[in-house]
Amino acid sequence: MINILNGIDSTSSALNAERIRMDVVSQNIANVNTTRGLNGKPYARQQVVFEAVLKDQLKPAGTPGSEPQMVRVSHVETARRQPRLVYQPGHVDADANGMVAMPNINIYEEMVDLMAASRTYEANLNAVKTARSMALQTLSIGKR
Amino acid sequence: MNSLSALRTLAYPALRTEAPVQTLSESAAPKSIPFTELEKLSPGILPNPIGVTNTTPAGFDRLVTGLVNEVSAKQAISSEAVNGLLSGQNVSLHQTMIAMEEASISFQLMVEVRNKLLESYQELMRMQI
Repeated sequence: MINILNGIDSTSSALNAERIRMDVVSQNIANVNTTRGLNGKPYARQQVVFEAVLKDQLKPAGTPGSEPQMVRVSHVETARRQPRLVYQPGHVDADANGMVAMPNINIYEEMVDLMAASRTYEANLNAVKTARSMALQTLSIGKR
Repeated sequence: MNSLSALRTLAYPALRTEAPVQTLSESAAPKSIPFTELEKLSPGILPNPIGVTNTTPAGFDRLVTGLVNEVSAKQAISSEAVNGLLSGQNVSLHQTMIAMEEASISFQLMVEVRNKLLESYQELMRMQI
């Protein structure tokens, strides 16, 4: 297979990974008031962990750059933070003292994470664009 | 430089056999030299088709056919990605865009190669004998 856009593979994997990160962040934002998660407890904040992988792990690592290092989401982990206690006596999930356990999510933190994910996505898109315009400029050698 | 000069040598069947002969030996040489001899004289003058690394020397037609097949494969991948995206399969937008872009650039590359071929052919036709 001819390789037209070199080095795009790792960029493509990064776009994928950032997409997943954005999905997880928006899931956190969506569940900021969820007092009853899947396990009956309040929703717990999720965060992604990235890891680098070689594109073809069977081949030994050769010269730098020849074997692109891709990034992927290794797992989504649950933050170990205590739930926030809010006094709401009328709430269905309130305990005997009238305290409701809210998710341990700080909305400002999530917004900053969202912005960071979006900016990283943008940076990777720019890498794709640059590779494309480099290829087109190279093709223009043949034009007169 | 290297690939271009190889293209020029192989662009036309007549050039492929006769041009090196005339430059190498003026009168005593036979009209045409078999490819095996040519290979011995200047190893690496005959490029292999794309994707094939170590075979018998191949003609330029096979090289071009290989290029066309590659471009066709890229187009197939691209349309598959578009179909997957539109039918709601697990294909992401950026993968589709990158596949389309690759298909487009390789098609442009093919057009450039064709232009060069035609150009060299026309130059040959204009040549005074």
